[in-house]
Amino acid sequence: MRPILLSGHERALTQVKYNADGDIIFSVSKDHVVCAWFSHNGERLGTYHGHVGALWTVDVDPTSTLLATGGADNTIRLWEVRTGKQLKSWEFGTAIKRVEFSPDGRQLLGITEKRQGHLSTIFVYEINPDPSAEQTDEQSLRIVCDEAKATVAGFSYGAKYIISGHEDGTVCQWDAKSGEFLDSVQAHEADMQVTDLQWAPDRTYFITASKDKTAKLMSTNDLEILKTYTTDTPLNSAAITPVKDFVILGGGQAAMDVTTTSARQGKFEARFYHKIFMEEIGRVRGHFGPLNYVAVHPKGTGYCSGGEDGYVRVHHFDKPYFDFMYEVEREQQANL
Amino acid sequence: QDLAKKNTANRQVVEHRRRLLQEWLSWREYIVQLVKSEGWDIEGRKEDVGGGEVIE
Repeated sequence: MRPILLSGHERALTQVKYNADGDIIFSVSKDHVVCAWFSHNGERLGTYHGHVGALWTVDVDPTSTLLATGGADNTIRLWEVRTGKQLKSWEFGTAIKRVEFSPDGRQLLGITEKRQGHLSTIFVYEINPDPSAEQTDEQSLRIVCDEAKATVAGFSYGAKYIISGHEDGTVCQWDAKSGEFLDSVQAHEADMQVTDLQWAPDRTYFITASKDKTAKLMSTNDLEILKTYTTDTPLNSAAITPVKDFVILGGGQAAMDVTTTSARQGKFEARFYHKIFMEEIGRVRGHFGPLNYVAVHPKGTGYCSGGEDGYVRVHHFDKPYFDFMYEVEREQQANL
Repeated sequence: QDLAKKNTANRQVVEHRRRLLQEWLSWREYIVQLVKSEGWDIEGRKEDVGGGEVIE
């Protein structure tokens, strides 16, 4: 594995995303700037300027035409990927913690932070995929999370459900058309925040990461916990790899949060687990601070991580990664 | 005798993994059928990638 270091941000990375083809990586940071990079060589393609606060979240539509960003300046902004032009800005009463496009790119979901006088809400805008079109000011859906604030959310397959993760460790399922509450599961330890939610390629299942040091693989339809990955550090992010049946977990205790002096400071490694057997397979070191986000190349050829240290590290998988198989997997393949 | 014990333990681990793999594969089959029967158009990865889990 030859990692490429993307140095361009001046502060902690908060989210990194590949586009659908996997040739571009978008990154957002507390430094207010959105960056686009070529994933194969780490060359910076461009930056998107306009935000006036820390950025928490980024997503790109399936055709790599539109980019959405949100952050502490209480705005969601929509950009044209190719030109860097800002197409739209929606303003809110509080910070934006998450944005995500629907699988077809025609809807955009956002989550607002809870603050005095403002409840955490999940809302949806209908998106016109044409960059020259006027975008709507009207929200097509509003879900108020009055029990526990939402921290992460996304659209299921066919945008049938919205699945959300919350600060109290619960995961909820909503009807994505009506906003009706359908189901809730205490997936993680009570009052341990769900820090990430990423989908399997077909969105029939997803993975959640939590401060409770575990990641869970859950089914979209009935929120069944299919798998549990147990680590020794609070997790900020978890991703599912296509092609190989692995998951990648990222996290780490910030130095200021390490209370016992004997504890090994840091543990700033990306951890690979076997998705089905739930066993740890390996770790990748490199960051000097917690990993705030891990993203997998959509074709499963590599991954990247955004760190509290201000760097994005891009890894391309080698042949041994693809060759690695458990004996029972070989058996299975031989029987096909 | 130690060797025999070790072999038994190994066999159990392998049996366990085999079970997990079969469970997973049957769940995948079930869920793909279910989603298909709901008539959803799944926007997943493109089909040319291969090797992964794509619902056709």
